[in-house]
Amino acid sequence: MRIPTLPTWFATKASSAPTKKDRSQVRVGIPKVLNVWSTHQFWVGFLKALGVQPENIIFSSDTSEEQGREHGKGRGTVDCCYPVKCISGHYGELVFGQKKKINVLLSPMLYSIPSVLRGNVVDTLTCTRVMAGPESVKAGFLKERDVFAEQGIKYASPFVSLGDPHCVTDQLYDGLKDVFELDKKETEHAVAAGYAALDAFNAKARGQSRKILEWCAINQKPCILVMARPYHMDTGIGHEIEGELQAHGYPVLWLQYLPGDLDLLNWLFEEDMRIGRCKNPFDINDVWTSSYSSNTNEIMWGAKVAARCPWITCVVRLSSYECGMDQPTFTPAQKIVEATGTLFFKFGDLDSTKPAGSVRIRIETITHYLSKYSEDIIRKKRAYLSDQGPLLEGEWPERPEVEAESPAPQEQQEQVISVV
Amino acid sequence: MSLIQIKGTGGEEPISQMISAAMPMRSAGVGKLCGMDVGSTTCKYVLASPEGHIIAQAYERHNTRQAEKVLDFLNRLEVEHGFSPETDRVFFTGSGAGLIAPLVGAKVVQEVVAVAAAVEKLHPSVRFVSEIGGEDMKTIFFNGDGPSKSKQVLMQSACSGGTGTFIEKTARKLEVPLEKLSQMSYLGHTLHKVSSKCGIFAEADANTLLKAGVTVDEIIASLFEAVVYQNLATLTKGNTPQPEILLLGGPNLFFSGLQEAWRHHLQKVWKERKVAIPDDKDPSALIRVPDNALYYAAQGCIEVGLREQAHIGLYKGAKKLRWWIEEGQHEEKKKQGRGGLWADIEELESFRSRYAETPSTKPQPDIAPKPSAQPKVAPGLVGIAPVRGKGLGRVVVGCDFGSTTAKAVCLSPEKEMLFSCYALSKGNPIEDAKLLFRQIREALGDGQMLSLAITGYGKDLLKNILGADCAVVETIAHASAGVHFFPDADCICDVGGVDVKIMILNNGKVTDFRLNSQCSSGNGAFLQGVAERFGIPLSEMADGAFRAQAMPQLSMGCGVFLQSDIVNQQRKGWQAEEILAGLCAILPLNVWIYAGNLNNLTSVGKKYILQGGTHKNLAVVKTQVDFIKSKVPDADIVVHPYSGEAGAIGAALVALDWWERGGRTGFRGFEVVENLSYKTATSVETVCHWCPVNCQRSFIDVELLGGKGRTWSKVPLSEGWERVIVNNSCPKGLVEDLNEMKAIKAEIEKTKNAYPNIADMVRNEGFLRAH
Repeated sequence: MRIPTLPTWFATKASSAPTKKDRSQVRVGIPKVLNVWSTHQFWVGFLKALGVQPENIIFSSDTSEEQGREHGKGRGTVDCCYPVKCISGHYGELVFGQKKKINVLLSPMLYSIPSVLRGNVVDTLTCTRVMAGPESVKAGFLKERDVFAEQGIKYASPFVSLGDPHCVTDQLYDGLKDVFELDKKETEHAVAAGYAALDAFNAKARGQSRKILEWCAINQKPCILVMARPYHMDTGIGHEIEGELQAHGYPVLWLQYLPGDLDLLNWLFEEDMRIGRCKNPFDINDVWTSSYSSNTNEIMWGAKVAARCPWITCVVRLSSYECGMDQPTFTPAQKIVEATGTLFFKFGDLDSTKPAGSVRIRIETITHYLSKYSEDIIRKKRAYLSDQGPLLEGEWPERPEVEAESPAPQEQQEQVISVV
Repeated sequence: MSLIQIKGTGGEEPISQMISAAMPMRSAGVGKLCGMDVGSTTCKYVLASPEGHIIAQAYERHNTRQAEKVLDFLNRLEVEHGFSPETDRVFFTGSGAGLIAPLVGAKVVQEVVAVAAAVEKLHPSVRFVSEIGGEDMKTIFFNGDGPSKSKQVLMQSACSGGTGTFIEKTARKLEVPLEKLSQMSYLGHTLHKVSSKCGIFAEADANTLLKAGVTVDEIIASLFEAVVYQNLATLTKGNTPQPEILLLGGPNLFFSGLQEAWRHHLQKVWKERKVAIPDDKDPSALIRVPDNALYYAAQGCIEVGLREQAHIGLYKGAKKLRWWIEEGQHEEKKKQGRGGLWADIEELESFRSRYAETPSTKPQPDIAPKPSAQPKVAPGLVGIAPVRGKGLGRVVVGCDFGSTTAKAVCLSPEKEMLFSCYALSKGNPIEDAKLLFRQIREALGDGQMLSLAITGYGKDLLKNILGADCAVVETIAHASAGVHFFPDADCICDVGGVDVKIMILNNGKVTDFRLNSQCSSGNGAFLQGVAERFGIPLSEMADGAFRAQAMPQLSMGCGVFLQSDIVNQQRKGWQAEEILAGLCAILPLNVWIYAGNLNNLTSVGKKYILQGGTHKNLAVVKTQVDFIKSKVPDADIVVHPYSGEAGAIGAALVALDWWERGGRTGFRGFEVVENLSYKTATSVETVCHWCPVNCQRSFIDVELLGGKGRTWSKVPLSEGWERVIVNNSCPKGLVEDLNEMKAIKAEIEKTKNAYPNIADMVRNEGFLRAH
């Protein structure tokens, strides 16, 4: 190991001071795909810290059939994973569909991602197909001629382990130094800014979820948990199926943003920890030992939370066509959820087409069961827990007594707003 | 300098001259060479001298008699050209080659290899070939030049989308003769969206467009557009077709409109992707359709044959082929096919004794559940008389307003079935309701209706008008009726005339649901259509299928190919009853695997309820039972005892539950229903404008106490009236116009704002650049 002498020490310090380049005119396009749906604000924070103007950070629009037809035509991959396949449309939109051209197309290959479960699971990796997605899609733009070069665009696809913060500075420096003329120090600073922005967003979203649960607890109303991968929030991939349930008057939580507050989780998992089923509320070893995949881990954890939280009376599972990562989780996740009588519904094999007729019938089916069974489910799940729990404490008004009898069915039905 | 003289698309030389000039021989044998292309719709041959000079060529449709047409060709070759066994050589290619080639000593050349060999020889500057066949499509990309020249082949043959059959089938539906179709143009027409994915979808789209008044010319142009789009979208895989381009195969040759569509799209792609075009060339001249486009595969066989040793592909004469046609194929038919729908007579009898009891011989049972056994009544209770003399006492009523019939049942609070009736739908739900309620009123006598629930297509339209207490979604209605009889049911499989519904249950609740109303594969209408074509009445279909001792193995999946497969099997000598048995046998595969996408039935469960009209066919029930048991050996499969009324019974059970929980009916009363007065409007003002189809809807305005009216409508309605919209072809048409949509959306937004969705926050704030 080299021992720094005084002159080298000072030399290093002098050269490592951030020498911020003027990047105010650089326009960066980011395809809004895959795990960008859960790491969005990292990239915003990172680029802003590098001096890229906010208006020069361009995310592609939501996935749509038109986007694929117009911009991805003939550049498709043979991938059977639709969320990967549709990336070519996003690339095409950023390359050809911008009034003001972009200079950089930034499409990170995310090897791992941050997770609330980190430390309690083997790893928080992404699906290999998803991680390598940018590589296979890029080929369609390079195969015959370098379309990016022709359009004056630098293509940047850094390999990033966002789940391991200590690796990220080196990885992004290596992957982007030529694109943005980076130096190490400013990269480190920008990475810190990226994490800060993402953490702030996640905290806000988790806070919102907690508020929803508190509202449900006070009003003794049910809510729905969507169990899916982050990109199912893309309206072209998840088809806003959960939005139709919301339109029937049910608040909707997503497992990615379930509250991570210990007061709440300790209450929900109190008995499990007491009997030694799990060490802490984030421990999923009792149900999923092969816990290396981040989104899969969170799906299993979400199932555990949903099974225990009284006001989550229904879980809606979304899964894309032939998703090999989802496949092994279908039965265990469903069994965990249903173990406490919580309703479980699955929309599988989603691809580019929204099966509107079938979705409409299923939404009506789900709302029927929700209105019929939610109250019993809440009552039953409350009985498993020790006391009234943290959601009903504090400044909130006293909880109204649960009616001994069900309200007249007609009253229940009036809450349902029909959707066309 | 190349010896090949290639002119523009209009004035190609005959292939024989071109080939003769182009082919100096390398390893000439002593005999002549014949290249035979046995395709899905036609046979083609090219005969060449030992040096490769073309002597003769022919092309004819085989009308699914591939072997016979090949024999005919060989006979002609022997007589007219002295084609001789043990001297001359023969090389086969095409989808029918594998079976016939060994019978005459021919060597099989893979189709794409054959086409590529001909193209490389005749058109060395070609970089992209599209060959569209009757049931497949292929593209070949050539890269590089000289020794480093490589090719990439992409082929699609599993689906009818983008093939010749796709075009012809739709054109036939539109009654466009082939001669006319070949002259029809692409350019200059307004294009409409026609599904490029599937021939059956395309046919449905074409029908809808025709109904909406779109001209046949525009539909055909849209069809050409769909074919080219499908080829470019699925078979280029990231490659750009570079000039020069060669279009081969029957459809590319015969349909000039298709050629126009190719030229239009390829030139557009070249412009978009900045493909360099030589200044002296007209881009459209770089896309060639040789006059002999049909013969390239056969010609390629000769090219391949010339490279082979002299003993390869030596013609053995047509004797064995003749034997095959006259006897062998019939013997083979039995070997290749499978046995009938039953193993032995005991097995069939045991099946019949469980599943085939006629309702007329049995008393009508109560519907109180008998979970231990299959209820001893088969489907078909429609129109029965009341069983309790005059008056039914206290009842709950369930109605199922379907698209073809409306049904109603009355249950006692003890869940006994007291009455059931039906009305054939007249397309006016008010009239249908009047008919049903007249029958219920008569049966009810001085009894009392405790509650009313309705299900089916008309449920939302009629709920308020009738004052029904619950509008029940069909899954819940069917699941309630199914679970009531079989509380441990895991799955309900409803195969109707036009759709297939699979409901997967868990703890008595529908957790997953598959609906297939877009593809004809597996539905009853397809089966019925084939039976009708064979002149077999519906009622005799099952007995006929059971009589078959053997049946052909038909292919699962696409209905377009299944139709040609049936013709093919017929040519092989399979009889109507055997083919029907074969169809019944593949129905479960089409239902569960192709339409339901359920490959693993063990994960679905053990108890299956079969219902819907198609399960009135006992042969289908047999194949369903056999199929499910082959996947889940300990499965228990039952046919719903009231298959036709399951929806109405389920609705009645929901109505009963509602009443038991304290609900009191809001039914407007028989008098009000009977006297419902309405007026119907069908005009330009009632046309639906949500999509280009522009359905001609009708508005049925019903005078109703408390009706809200529609003062904002183009066809205004005053207070005290309610509107029912009919003749729309999709649910969107139930919304009158933009004004109503705005009102509905505003209401939805209000609810959404009150009940947050975390994904909305992510969509709105996750990608914000400035906070």
